[in-house]
Amino acid sequence: MSKVNIEKKILSGNDRVAIENRQRFSDAGLLVFNIISSPGSGKTTLLEATLDRLAGETRILVIEGDVSTERDMDRVRAHGADGIQINTGGGCHLSAKMIRDVLGELALEAADIVFIENVGNLICPSTYDLGEDIRMVLLSTAEGDDKPMKYPSIFHEAELAIITKIDLLPYLEFDVEKVGTEIGVLNPECEVLKLSALKGEGMDVWIEWIGKRLEMKRAARPVAGE
Amino acid sequence: MHELSICQSMLGIVEKTMAEHPNATLERIFLDIGRGSTVESTLLSEAFEVITSGGPYEGVELVINDIPIAGRCRSCERDFTYEEFALGCPSCGSTDIEIHSGLELDIKHLEINED
Ligand SMILES: Nc1nc2c(ncn2[C@@H]2O[C@H](COP(=O)(O)OP(=O)(O)O)[C@@H](O)[C@H]2O)c(=O)[nH]1
Ligand SMILES: [Mg+2]
Repeated sequence: MSKVNIEKKILSGNDRVAIENRQRFSDAGLLVFNIISSPGSGKTTLLEATLDRLAGETRILVIEGDVSTERDMDRVRAHGADGIQINTGGGCHLSAKMIRDVLGELALEAADIVFIENVGNLICPSTYDLGEDIRMVLLSTAEGDDKPMKYPSIFHEAELAIITKIDLLPYLEFDVEKVGTEIGVLNPECEVLKLSALKGEGMDVWIEWIGKRLEMKRAARPVAGE
Repeated sequence: MHELSICQSMLGIVEKTMAEHPNATLERIFLDIGRGSTVESTLLSEAFEVITSGGPYEGVELVINDIPIAGRCRSCERDFTYEEFALGCPSCGSTDIEIHSGLELDIKHLEINED
């Protein structure tokens, strides 16, 4: 019997493709979001409201990940986004390779932002780097305030957490402060915003947040010819 | 459940490695799986059995080293280990902590028979 050393991350193949994707996005000067949440937390609704707010000034591409159907892509197209739907056919997450396979079909150079809506799932997508700049997680007030500790890995990995559907707070027992504290323990660097994409409350802060990150990204981009 | 696709990625690495040892038979695969990694060891073992059944790796033993979540408290400077993610330091309750291990998803080595 002999021993063969490997010492590799199991997902090193995915990570390699994610690095390639990140380079392509960066070459095209794009700010890329990977949006993760349970099904129904409000990812598509937030995209619709964001598209309405940024229309005209910022050019946005959307990559929609779902097990099946083009429904979410149809919804964001109706709000002016270009993009593409990926159907995973049962798969519970998007992978870097699935993203790479559709990049050729997108006009990356003509855009400012790419929003990737991951498959609705709070566990699996957190393990797969897609090459995004910002990994963000949504938690809706209707899901309950115990979720960060129950699904710690995504909160540990995310740079931004958004508490959605705050218009429902009067009807629920959901302690916004407690959720903020728990996320802070899992990940002290994670910023927490709260909003209602449907009613508009908190949307200003989110739109400002995007603007700030877009500026940072542009400032970091080497000017052609220098 | 992404254990199936984790298992496929793992087997991809195993196949590449075994291609360098064409006359060997694979006996055991050793993994480090952290408890905070999102991968459930039992589901991974089940996925492994399903995927390998009927193929060249049927009967290969998957040895999973289950790694607890461990870290250090910045307030009382004590090291600690949890079974699950928890809120704060088990000694002093401070939330100013750092996690060192428990997020692993690694393939460590293989045991093969070369004859
Ligand atoms: N009350 C309320 N409902 C919302 C809000 N955002 C989304 N929803 C509803 O939640 C449901 C799921 O939203 P959707 O955006 O499809 O979730 P996704 O599966 O994460 O993309 C829909 O019925 C939305 O109308 C919100 O801010 N407030
Ligand atoms: Mg959706």
